[in-house]
Amino acid sequence: MADELELLRRANPVPDDAPHFADGPLDGRAEHRLQRLLNEPRPGRRFRPLPASAGRTGRARLVWGLAATAVVLVIAVNAVLGDPGTSRAVAAPRPLTVHAASAPVPLRDMVALADAAAAAGSPGPRKGTHVQSWSLGMSDGKPPVTLPEERVVRWRADASHTELVVATDPRRPGRPVLTDEGGEPHLVADGHVISRTTYPPMWSDAPPEAPPPHTAARLRVYLTEIARTQADRGTAALSTAELLDAVAELLGHWTLGARESAAVVRLFAGTGGLRPAGEVTDRLGRPGHAYVYDARGVRHMLILEPRTGAVLGMEDTFTEDAPEYGVKAGAVMGYSAWMR
Amino acid sequence: MSNDEIFAAAYREHYWAVSRYVARRLRGRADEVEEVVAEVFTVAWRRRADLPATPLPWLYGVARNCLANAVRGRGRRRRLVDRLGNDEAAHARHVAAGPDAEAPGAWVHEALDRLSPADREVLRLAAWEELGADEIAVALGCGSRAAAMRLHRARNRLRAEIDRLRPPVAVAAATAPADATPCEDDRHG
Repeated sequence: MADELELLRRANPVPDDAPHFADGPLDGRAEHRLQRLLNEPRPGRRFRPLPASAGRTGRARLVWGLAATAVVLVIAVNAVLGDPGTSRAVAAPRPLTVHAASAPVPLRDMVALADAAAAAGSPGPRKGTHVQSWSLGMSDGKPPVTLPEERVVRWRADASHTELVVATDPRRPGRPVLTDEGGEPHLVADGHVISRTTYPPMWSDAPPEAPPPHTAARLRVYLTEIARTQADRGTAALSTAELLDAVAELLGHWTLGARESAAVVRLFAGTGGLRPAGEVTDRLGRPGHAYVYDARGVRHMLILEPRTGAVLGMEDTFTEDAPEYGVKAGAVMGYSAWMR
Repeated sequence: MSNDEIFAAAYREHYWAVSRYVARRLRGRADEVEEVVAEVFTVAWRRRADLPATPLPWLYGVARNCLANAVRGRGRRRRLVDRLGNDEAAHARHVAAGPDAEAPGAWVHEALDRLSPADREVLRLAAWEELGADEIAVALGCGSRAAAMRLHRARNRLRAEIDRLRPPVAVAAATAPADATPCEDDRHG
C-alpha cells in the first residue's frame, strides 16, 4: 500500500488541473479585483475626520449620535496586543437579553402594524446603508476578538458612491477600538478611518443593486435571487436561514422604506421559523421586538422596530462551543444594527 | 520593481494556486472560494511590503488566517458556518471503503478528519500544496525544524488512523480465498 502522504495526495479534492482552478490567465473578476487594489486610495491619505468631543455635525453624528449601553465581558487580548494596559479597553459584548415579563408579539401582529405604518408610503427606500457591526474575529491559537465597525455607503445622483468604514464602538465612546486592519488585531483611536473609497458610476438591474420591490410576492423573488444560484431558484421556498441571509445582504445595500419593511415582515411571518421572544433594547439603545431562530449551533435573533416592523438589527450567537477557534457557547458571532 | 509591481506579479502568478488552497479547505462553491481569495489578496496587498521573494507559501499563510478568521459580512459568515456544518454532515455519511479500495478519497478524508487541526494542515500543505519543510515553515509561521517535526509526527498519526480505519473485511479480502469472504456470500449458501 502507498504511504500515507501518497494516499492523501491521491485524495486531493481540488487537483492542480481542476476545472475553474487550473493555472492560467486571470479571469475578468480576478483582474478587476487586482486593478481595484492597485488603484485604491493609499493609507497615507487616510485621516481621522471625527472630533474627539461629541459634536453634532453630520460627520460627527457618524460616531456620536448613538446611545451607549453597558459593556460586560472583557476578553483576554493581552496575547494579541501585547500590552497589559490596553486589555480593559476592549470588550466582547454579550448577547441581547429579552426583558423579563415582556410579552412576545407574534409576527402576524407585526405584519398588521407594519402595513398600517406603510399606508402613507413614506419614508421611501434609499440606496446606500448605514450599519454598525460587531464581528467576532477568530484565528488558530489566539483568543477571539470582537471588531466594531461603522459603515456608511452613500450614492450620488450620478450613480457613483462612497463607502466609509470607521473603527468605532458606540457603546464605548472615546475609548480605543480594536481593528484587524492590516491583518493583526490592534487598538486604534475611536473614529479611526479604516477605509474611505469612492467608486465610479455603476449600474445594475440585479439584486441587491436593483431597487427592492415593495410587495411581498415580488420581494420574495428578489430575495431568492440574492440567496440562490439560478439553478436552485425554482425549488422550495426560502428557508428562514436563507431569508435572514438575503435580508441582511439587502440591508447592506439599501435603506428600506416603510413599504419594503412591511413586505419583509410579511415574508418573515410566512416562513414560520422565527419564534417571538419578547422585548429587547438593542445595542444602540433602541427598543425592539426580538424573534429567534436556532440552527446548527447558532442562534439568530432578528430585532424589529415595534411600531413599523423595520429591521433594526440581527444578532448571531454561538449556542455550542467551537474549541477550534477558542469560542465558547454564548459568544456573539456577529451583530449588525442598521440605521436610517 | 516597486512593491506594487511585485504584488501584481505575485497576484497573477499565484491567484489560482491560492484559489485551489482555499477550495480544498472550504469545499465550497466557487463563488465562496472567490470571496475568500479576494480577502486573502486584500490582506496581502496591505502587507505587500512584507511579501517575500518566494511568495506562495507566505500567501498560503495569509489564506490560512483568512479562512480561520471571521468573515466580516455576517451573511457570508453564516454561509460559511452552514458550509462547515454541511461538510461535517457529509463526512458522517462517508463510507470507509478501506485502504485497498480503488478510490481512497473518502476514507483518507475520514482518517484526516480524526487528527487535530494542526496535524491536518501540515499534512495538507505537504500532500496537496506539495510544500517542503522550509515552505511549510513559512506558511505556518514556525521554524523549518519545527515544521519538519510536525510533519513527521502528523504522518505517524495519519498512518495510525489509516491502520485503525482498515475494516476487517478489507484485510480478509486481501488475504483469504474467495469462498471465505463473509456476509453476502454466506446468504447464498
